[in-house]
Amino acid sequence: MKTDLYYKTDRRLLLVIPIALFLLSVAILANQYVQTGELFKRSIEMKGGTVITINTPEKLDIAGIESRLRQKFSPINVREMRSFRGYGTVIETSSEIKAEDILAEIKAMGIDTGNSDVESIGPSLGASFWSQAQLAMILAFVFMGIVVFVIFRTFVPSMAVIISAFADIFMTLAFMQLFGIELSLAGLAAILMLIGYSVDTDILLTSRMLKETEDHTLNEKISHAMKTGLTMTLTSIGALTPLLLLGISPVITQIANVLMIGLAFDIMNTWITNVIILRWYCEKKGMK
Amino acid sequence: MLKYWRLLLLVIMVSASLLAIGLKPQYTGVQIAYIYEDSPAKGQLQNGMIISEVNGQVIRSAEEWNGIVNNYKGDMKLKVNKIDYKFSVNESGIGIEVNDIDRTNLDFGLDMKGGTRIILRPKENASAQTLEQILGTLQTRANIYGLREIRFFSVRGLGGDYYVQVEAAGVGREIVDTLLSKQGNFEAKISKPVYLKDNKGVFDLGENKYDVEYFGNGTVKISNFTVKINDTFMLDDVDFELVNITQDDVLVFLGSSYKGDDIELVYTDAQHSGIMPGKNFFEFYFGILVSEKGAARFAKITSGIQPQLDLNSGEYYLKDSRIFLYLDNQLVSDLRIASSLGGQAYTTPQITGSRETRETALEEKLKLQTILRSGALPVSLETVSVGVISPTLGSGFMNSIAIAAGLAVVVVMGVIFVRYRKLKVSLPIAMVGFSEVVIILGIAANNDWAIWGPVLLLNVIVVGMAWWKKYEIDPTAWIGAILIPLLGLLTWTIDLPVITGIIATLGIGVDSMIVIADETLYGKKDEKKILYTVKDKIKRAFFIIFGSASTIIAAMVPLMAIGIGFVRGFAITTIVGVLVGILVTRPAYAEVIEVWLSREKHTQ
Repeated sequence: MKTDLYYKTDRRLLLVIPIALFLLSVAILANQYVQTGELFKRSIEMKGGTVITINTPEKLDIAGIESRLRQKFSPINVREMRSFRGYGTVIETSSEIKAEDILAEIKAMGIDTGNSDVESIGPSLGASFWSQAQLAMILAFVFMGIVVFVIFRTFVPSMAVIISAFADIFMTLAFMQLFGIELSLAGLAAILMLIGYSVDTDILLTSRMLKETEDHTLNEKISHAMKTGLTMTLTSIGALTPLLLLGISPVITQIANVLMIGLAFDIMNTWITNVIILRWYCEKKGMK
Repeated sequence: MLKYWRLLLLVIMVSASLLAIGLKPQYTGVQIAYIYEDSPAKGQLQNGMIISEVNGQVIRSAEEWNGIVNNYKGDMKLKVNKIDYKFSVNESGIGIEVNDIDRTNLDFGLDMKGGTRIILRPKENASAQTLEQILGTLQTRANIYGLREIRFFSVRGLGGDYYVQVEAAGVGREIVDTLLSKQGNFEAKISKPVYLKDNKGVFDLGENKYDVEYFGNGTVKISNFTVKINDTFMLDDVDFELVNITQDDVLVFLGSSYKGDDIELVYTDAQHSGIMPGKNFFEFYFGILVSEKGAARFAKITSGIQPQLDLNSGEYYLKDSRIFLYLDNQLVSDLRIASSLGGQAYTTPQITGSRETRETALEEKLKLQTILRSGALPVSLETVSVGVISPTLGSGFMNSIAIAAGLAVVVVMGVIFVRYRKLKVSLPIAMVGFSEVVIILGIAANNDWAIWGPVLLLNVIVVGMAWWKKYEIDPTAWIGAILIPLLGLLTWTIDLPVITGIIATLGIGVDSMIVIADETLYGKKDEKKILYTVKDKIKRAFFIIFGSASTIIAAMVPLMAIGIGFVRGFAITTIVGVLVGILVTRPAYAEVIEVWLSREKHTQ
């Protein structure tokens, strides 16, 4: 009886949380836009530039390297990255500057540059990647929406799924800005994966609520679906944790990061946003 | 047995995939990818050779090799293809780049093996046809300079513009740059036989004919001068070399007919070049435009050479005479000369040839066109992206992937065990998840009908017999039994995005199995209904699973259609993985649960 009461009295109040987070996300993106002129921080893959990663077993003097490189090259940005094989010193610059020159300069400082990776993308290719990425995200979302409508063939429940998925993606993109995660090709892959993962639990919930014929009350159906869904999301988060902790490669770390944020939002959007809309719909239809 | 046909299908496809991935015995050694010009081993060792020992120490990986060779000076003993070599290494190092030997049929990407990835853009607007020429030219150059591990492919940008992607495994950027900027010296030489009778013959250059006399021990008198074997001389404006004297009655000369600047144009348009299907082969042809001087030299060299019937084609060619094509003094190809061209000064000769398949004919055509253009590109290219990935990522990376996978399995099993308190539910999830990974890799592996053909047959037999025995067969079973072996014919490169795709699929797979387990275990206390509802419950579970699978596939399709290379592998892997999951592995898991539940009911 306690759970019943909880759902009856507080459920609309609960909606305050996703709405607040949504507004916060809008604020984050708006702030970002005002400050930088762009909605999303993009990695060099999406805008062009050069990244040099020098892998060393011991920690390097980041500030020293940065100030020395600044004397000769501009723009320069140096940061540190931990990886399973030691330390990675990441140097970012524009694609006009030759990576060889920077590596030579660092070698002159007495640092072994033998184990280093270089990635350089011209601005035009970067722009092309970015427009493709935007198109891929929009198309993926539209296609997902169509499939959801085909599956359920009822307007409100389908829209509830789409709204929750949209909220997931939107909040994830906003919080990526907050945590300083740049959108790269790997991040794009993660966002598209997230569409799949977030719709997963929404479909579970909607099927259980609409299709289950056994004699259960709405609350029983919801709590049963929630048990299954939370197990699903928890195993996903559990499987991602070691990937994140081991820091295998920047690509995998970024995917794990984005998915973790997305899955956390998914818990909220499925079990608050989607549930409240669906409950309202079911009650209106006279289901108990 | 047949009653559990879903499990049987799973076993068949997992075994086939293991075969397809095909773990090979652990060879020791590394493969030579490139030898620098200043390497002491240049000229003695070649690309593709296997180095198994350095200074008596066995080498197992490129990483080990780099560890020993970096900053090495002094004498170095190498065991290469089981033969010992000794080199003296100075400051510039041994100058050999190596790759790990492939131990599976899986094709690992650059981000695993290390190497250079460069994306180039044609400076002018390039048509698909021009792009084909560019790729052919680059591939020919790479082959000529012994870089077999370097691959070129075209990628399409969003606006329909084309890019050229270069992937060179185990090779640094300088080598790729050299290759891209390389343009060779082309020369075509024609062999000219002179037949002797009583040690005398005629050197026929069309308008002028010279008497030839052979004195034995390799000395030949032509007109008023003598030459020995391998001597060069000029006669009537043509450079000749005496290359061979066979059985004391045939003298073979090599006459230089065209140099690079004699080839004024190599036609690549549809009107002057193409491929025609023949009876048992495909014929390729293309025209070239040569200078008047070159045409005249050709006429002189080929004068007086007798025609000979080729029994295979029924056409006449010049007897004992061929045209040899050289790039940077390396022989790269040779062709027969149609007898109708002998002694004629055509400025627009046509080059033809035939190969067994359309692909090989096209490849040969592109190669010859490239050589005739001195390896020059039809349009110039500019570099828009460079990626250099250090090779040591390799084995360390694989180890940590394995650790991460192991930990993920432990965590997932743990969560599921806590949820259901039953090993019988969580163990099969791990095994089915593992099978999913094996099948995805098996499909991605480089293999063909030899493995997947029999699998298709076996699958159809199994499902067919189960159907004959009147077991319940859903239409998706047929689709899975046929579609998955067909997907097996696909091959793609395993790189980081693909690994990510596998992780994504696994996550979705585990989620689906949780749905199955939950759906079937729910309401179990309702004893009377157990067996009656298990099937229905599994059906309901599959409604959810198919639903989420279709949304994932829908989200991935745009990535397949657009996207430059990198993300496509991710999309393919996820789509294939989801298909394998819903059609093969998850039904098998449902069967395990179903069997187990009905057993439990019987024992109650």
